[in-house]
Order: sequence, then C-alpha cells, then structure tokens
Amino acid sequence: MSETTPAMPVTATAAVGSPPPPLAPETKPGYVEKPASLWSDAWYDLRRRPLFIMSSILIAVLVVMALFPSLFTSINPMDATTCQLSTARQPPSAAHWFGKDNLGCDVYARTIYGARISIIVGITTTIVTAMVGGLLGLIAGFAGGATDSVMSRVTEIFFAIPSILGALLILAVFRTGNVWTVMLALAVLAWPMTFRIMRAAVITAKSQDYVVAARALGAGSGRLMFRHILPNAVTPVIVVATINLGMFISAEAALSFLGVGIQSPDISWGVMISDARPRFLEAAGPLLFPAAFLSVTVLAFIMLGDAVRDALDPKLR
Amino acid sequence: MRVTKGLQLVAGTALLALAVAACGGGSGTQKDGAAGGGETPVRMKIGEPQKLFYPGDTTETEGSEVLAAIFAPLVKYDENKKPVEDVAESITTTDNKVWTVKLKPGFTWHNGEPLIAQNYVDAWNFAANQDNGQRSSYFFGRVDGYKDVAPGEGKTPTSKTMRGLKAVDDTTFEVTLTDPFSQFKTMLGYTAFYPLPKAAFNPSGKVTEEFAKKPIGQGLFQIDKPYNKGTDATIDLTRFDKYPGTKPSFTKLQFKVYTSAETSYNDLRAGNLDIQDQLPASAIATAKAELGDRYLDQPDAGIGYIGFPLKSNKEFQNAKVREAVSMAIDRKTIAETVFSGTRAPADDFINPAIDGYTQGACKACVYDPTKAKQLYTEANGPKKLELGYNNDGGHKEWVEAVANNVRAALGVEVVVKPFEKFGNILDDLDAEKYTGMFRIGWAVDYPSPENYLTPLFSTGAIGGGGSNHSRYSNPEFDKLVAKGDTAATPEEGIEFYKQASAILNKDLPYIPVYFYRLNSAFSQHVKGVKIDLLNHVVWTAVTKTSGS
Repeated sequence: MSETTPAMPVTATAAVGSPPPPLAPETKPGYVEKPASLWSDAWYDLRRRPLFIMSSILIAVLVVMALFPSLFTSINPMDATTCQLSTARQPPSAAHWFGKDNLGCDVYARTIYGARISIIVGITTTIVTAMVGGLLGLIAGFAGGATDSVMSRVTEIFFAIPSILGALLILAVFRTGNVWTVMLALAVLAWPMTFRIMRAAVITAKSQDYVVAARALGAGSGRLMFRHILPNAVTPVIVVATINLGMFISAEAALSFLGVGIQSPDISWGVMISDARPRFLEAAGPLLFPAAFLSVTVLAFIMLGDAVRDALDPKLR
Repeated sequence: MRVTKGLQLVAGTALLALAVAACGGGSGTQKDGAAGGGETPVRMKIGEPQKLFYPGDTTETEGSEVLAAIFAPLVKYDENKKPVEDVAESITTTDNKVWTVKLKPGFTWHNGEPLIAQNYVDAWNFAANQDNGQRSSYFFGRVDGYKDVAPGEGKTPTSKTMRGLKAVDDTTFEVTLTDPFSQFKTMLGYTAFYPLPKAAFNPSGKVTEEFAKKPIGQGLFQIDKPYNKGTDATIDLTRFDKYPGTKPSFTKLQFKVYTSAETSYNDLRAGNLDIQDQLPASAIATAKAELGDRYLDQPDAGIGYIGFPLKSNKEFQNAKVREAVSMAIDRKTIAETVFSGTRAPADDFINPAIDGYTQGACKACVYDPTKAKQLYTEANGPKKLELGYNNDGGHKEWVEAVANNVRAALGVEVVVKPFEKFGNILDDLDAEKYTGMFRIGWAVDYPSPENYLTPLFSTGAIGGGGSNHSRYSNPEFDKLVAKGDTAATPEEGIEFYKQASAILNKDLPYIPVYFYRLNSAFSQHVKGVKIDLLNHVVWTAVTKTSGS
C-alpha cells in the first residue's frame, strides 16, 4: 500500500507548519467544486475499487455479527452452562469449530460474540473523537488569533501523552474496566489528532474566494462555518476517522490484553487472547482464532480508510 | 527442548557456555555487583511483602520467606512434622503450662550483639502489645498477662510487659501460659516468635521503622540495605559468616519482587531467576517436561479456599448461601484440568499432611449443582456475586473456573475482580471495605491442626491482627478449640480439634477448594533446592552450580 504514506504527512505538515492565519486570499487558486459533485464523484470512484468492495463486505459481515451474533452460532457463550471444564482445550471438531478454551467454553461462539465490543468501541470512539476534535478544530481554525493559540497549546499537551500509556493511566484511575471507561480513555487521548487535521483544513478553506464572497454578502460566523467551510474541510477528517477506527479496535484489544480494559465475563478478543496466552503451547487455537479475527477487522477498516481517502482526495492519487 | 540421552552431554556443555556468558552480562545490568564484588546471587521470586519487616506483623508468605532467611527460629521441624530445637538448646515443661527455654550458646546478632534470652522477652512483649498494632499479637494470647497488654479495642493496656514472660538469665527464659497448651513447643518455629535485638528498639521501647526496613537478625543472611516497599524491586542479602550452625554454601541471596507468577516463570526459564516456590497453574502441565528434575512436586500442608466476608456482607450470613456456592464448585475437574492433577479436591478444614484430617468431612464440598441451585433458591441468595483474587499469584484461571461453575449451577451473575497484589486484597478485607467473596489460601505456620483453626476462625483472630478475614465467630467452636489446646497431650487435643473442624464443615465461613501441592522450579544455576513444611526454602541445602 505505497499510496498510504503521503496522505498523513501532507495533512500533518499542513497542521504543524501553518502559522496562525496569514490571510492572503489570492495566493491559492480557488478549487471550487459543488459538494454534491465531490461526493457523487467519490462514490462513483469507490464502487470500482476492489479494495473498497472487499473491505465493505468484511465490515458488513462484522457489523451483522456484532448486532445479531446468534445468526452465526447457536451457542450463547454468556451462558456459563455451555462451558464444560472437563472438555478444556479440546481441539477443533464438527461441533466446536474452533475448539474449546481453557475453561471448556466454545471458542467459535466466544469469538463471534467478541466482535460486538470491538465494533462498539471502535465506532463510538471514532464518532466521539470526530465530533469533539472536529468541532473544536473548526472553532480554533475559524476564530484564529488568541483562541486558536490557547486551544492549540491545550491540544499539544494532550498530544504529548503517549496513547497506550495514557490510556493505562486513565483506566488505572477508574479501577474498573468496561466498555465505557475504555472508550473514554481512548477518546480523551485521540481527539487532538482530529482537532489538528480539522483546524488545518479549516484554515485553508476559510481563505478561499467563496468564503470571502459569502462574508462580503453578509453571512454570519455560524453560517460561514457550517455552510461554507465545514463541507469543504471535512474530507480529511473522514479519512482519518476511518483509519483510526481500526486503530481503536486494536487499542481496545491491547488494553484488554493488559488486563485493564474489558473484564470478564464480558467477551472481548483482547481478553480471549490474554486468557489463552499462558497455555499457548498446549492449545494454540484459543489464542489464534480471536487474534485472526482482530487482525482481519483492523485490516478491513484500514483498507476502507485507504479507499475512501483515494476517492475523496483525487489530488493524492 | 527435548534432548535425548546421547546428545545431552554436548547440549549441556553448550548451555553451560551460554549460562556463563549470560551471567557475565547479567550482573552488570542488574546492579547487584555493587556490594558483592560481581558475584551472581541466588535469586528467588517473591510477591511484595504486605508489611515492612516487623516479625510480629508479618503473617503472610512473602514477607515471612524473607524473614526466614534473616532470622533463625527456636525450633525447626523434622520429616514427621515434630519440632526439633534449633536456636533453643532445650524446651521443657512438666505441666504444659510453664515452659522453660534454654538457648544454645554462640548466636550473635548481625550487628555484633550477643543473642540473649531478654531479646525474646522484649520482642514478644512488643508484638503482643495492642498499641503496637502487630498482626501476630494474638499468637501470644496464651501467655499469662496477655490481657494486660492487649485488653481489646478501645481499652488501654495496663502494662507494657506480660507477667508470664521472664528471662531467668542470659540463656534461659520462662514462659507461663494462662492455661496448659500442649502444642506450645510446636508453635515456636513461627515468624512471630523471632527475637529482636536491643538495636531494634528506640528509647521508648518501640521497634523503629528504620529497623523494619533493614532488619537485624541472628540467622543465615543479613540484609544489605534498607528495603523501600513499593519502589525496590529486589531485596539483597549476604551470608552472615558468624552464624554458628551450618552455613549456606553461597554468599549472596536476592529476593526479586514480581507482580505476576507467569512473568517470573518466564524469567526463570530465561535464566534470570533461580527459584520460584509456586508455579502458576498454567505452567504446571508443561513444566515437568521442560524442566525435568528442576521441577519439584511435593505434598504441601496448604489449603486453598473461597472466603466470605460475613460481617461486611449480610447476604452471606445465611449458611445455605455458602453451602450452595460450595456445592456448585466442581473441585475434582478443577484439580485435574486447571491444575493438571497437582492439587487434590479439598474435603476438610484440616489438610491430610497434618494429623487430624478426616476424609470426606466436608459434606458440602461434594459437587452437586442441582442441590446447590435448590439451596440457593430456598435461601434467596443474591443475584450478583463478586469474587476477588490477587493477580500476583497465578490464581486467575481456577478462580475463573470457580466463577463459571457458580454461574452455571446457580444461574447468577458472577463478577471476577482482580486485585493487583495479595496485600491489596488483605488490606481491603482488614478494613472491611471489600464485600465480595475472595480467594484465600493458608500455608501452615507450624505443623499442628490447631493452626488451621485458631488463626483463621477464632473470635480472637478478628481485627487488630489475626487472619480471621471472614470475621467468623462461634462460641461453640472457640470452646472446642480451647479444649483441644488444654488437653494433656497433643494426641488428646486432636480429637477436640476434629470436632471444632466439624463445626466449620457445617458453617463454612470459608469453603475449602483444594489441598495444595507445592510445585516449584529452579534454574540451572542452582542445585539441591528443598522447601520445608512452612514453605521456606532450606538455604543450607542449596548450592550453586559451577557454571554460574
């Protein structure tokens, strides 16, 4: 995926390197395009990409799995009576496709049910960070001046915290790990990235001719921000959000693996991997199957992000 | 790595070379060369001690392992679990009430002071005095005058010393008990009965914190530098060359503090740790094949339980609830599957390794999910149960298995709650802050059935000190234990202890889950590792191999 690399640095340098708004409306030629045409063009483009089709199918399956796990398996792993300790570490069989784990529970059923937490954490955290980071970035980029400086400095403080370490710390404070605390820990540390990207995009957009024209026609700040700037600045945020979704899923698994994230009896792939690890040499299945699901899920979201970026940002192709 | 006989020699030499190389690199990174001139210590895994090193305040296994290396006990135990004099020359009595202890000559403290009888008197008076908040205080409850130094919460001690305790001369002291107690000599090998040097006390007669960080003992090893609990990852000791008895063959001993038994086991396999006295359950199945004769499996007097905080959680006060939980646990399958057969399903409150065990005494220890459900419904037990365990001891898997058993049999929600360290769960129980069920284990302090009863379930062991974490109190039980204590001979006493244990089997303040076996491992750097009845390593038997 060689085309992945340019996207991030470009947006990132734009974010880092752009000094507070040097208003020079005429320096860049206005690349005015109606929003509708950009999106329909992107959709037209996406439908033809095998990468997009593949990842969409995978994600659709995962989402269905998260919503209706009982479609895939008749065993409900939340019901402890389905576990038989005496059958622990049984190898895969016709009745138990992925075998049994250390406590004699069906690995296949647990893996299917494990999708739910990963998808919930991934999607919710993405939405929250995109909303919070996006809104704050929009305000900072639009307002400029002191507001921007203050907000940017605060963001930099958050940005300086290494994310897994910071999440460990936050979860340690809560003492109990569950879906909500994990999402909070991830969101608190992830919004600055969206903020920066949004801010950079807004700064570029607000010096465009059509914004100046709208302002000249008497449009208020709110209208300028949401009608003229946002639709033209939101693209990079969507791209980053899609890619981040996969990252959040793997971060959730990492935290659960370390024992501070999701706790049993809730099922998460990270917890399953962690539980299976000490006896990996005796039975590898209980570790490998959830790990494979985790990898495929993260890969699917990253591929989707790539495809979306290529479609929305033709310049980078 | 399985090597056949023929190849072993070659492989062995290659490993030796690796080990030598590893040692050379290792000592530099581990900062242990500072005091010992670069000699690699023998390294043993412990969890973080719950308290600083006050012998009278250390009632858990981790701290007592360290203290056992620094102090020498009055008595040791032979293969038949009978006490044999160690620091004591003789311990005699005519009526089980007045005991005379004579010390062997030649013992000195690590700071040069000679060991005298008064050191015992001072230490025991300090430990017993309730103002000092020592957890082992109740061990001295049988000494005449205990009520003066520990009259109970809210009251002030009327004396600083117990009248039953007096030093006759420098090598002899006399202990008078309130009532005859035939097992008194057996008790004396326990941590709480270690003496303390003059240097331990400040002018007002308290043991200083400085001492508790850098204890001065009269045993095999002296501690190198003060131990800062919570920050130090190692406790370094050096052999005390003036020790009069058999000395260990190596000079440096290091305890490494781990928060996970799995991590330490990996370190042991990698050669960064030499001795681990209890392997995590997950490692047992493969350890034998991997380590060969560096894996030890021996019967152990310990018991693993699930406990109920009876005082802080009213829902557990109904004995039927406890019985139901007990019957929901499939002990046999847990012992076989989780522990690979290295634990035995428990069926009494006294371990078979100690006299007084009755097979099948615990009727509720039989797996019967149907009856369990029925009892639980009758008792209207709570819909949600919490089950706590400490994460540093490799307990996760069997606790999860118990939780699954309970979920399946009783149809209730069971939340498994990990505590980072053993000390954390004990602290929360002591403060009566934690209200869920908890995993707990008991390693004997001295080989007597009485040790499974008094310290864990007697009314006297509640609060202040003592290990009555469930806050169980039953006058009838206390009475039977007292009868056992005052019996003329240990043999007569056992009958009463059995009766007391029968009450526990009905009341179930804890539910016995398994009888321990000790599954230990050691590295290629050491040989001859032996672990005694109190789960302490016999350091005089350990030798380093030439390669390290």
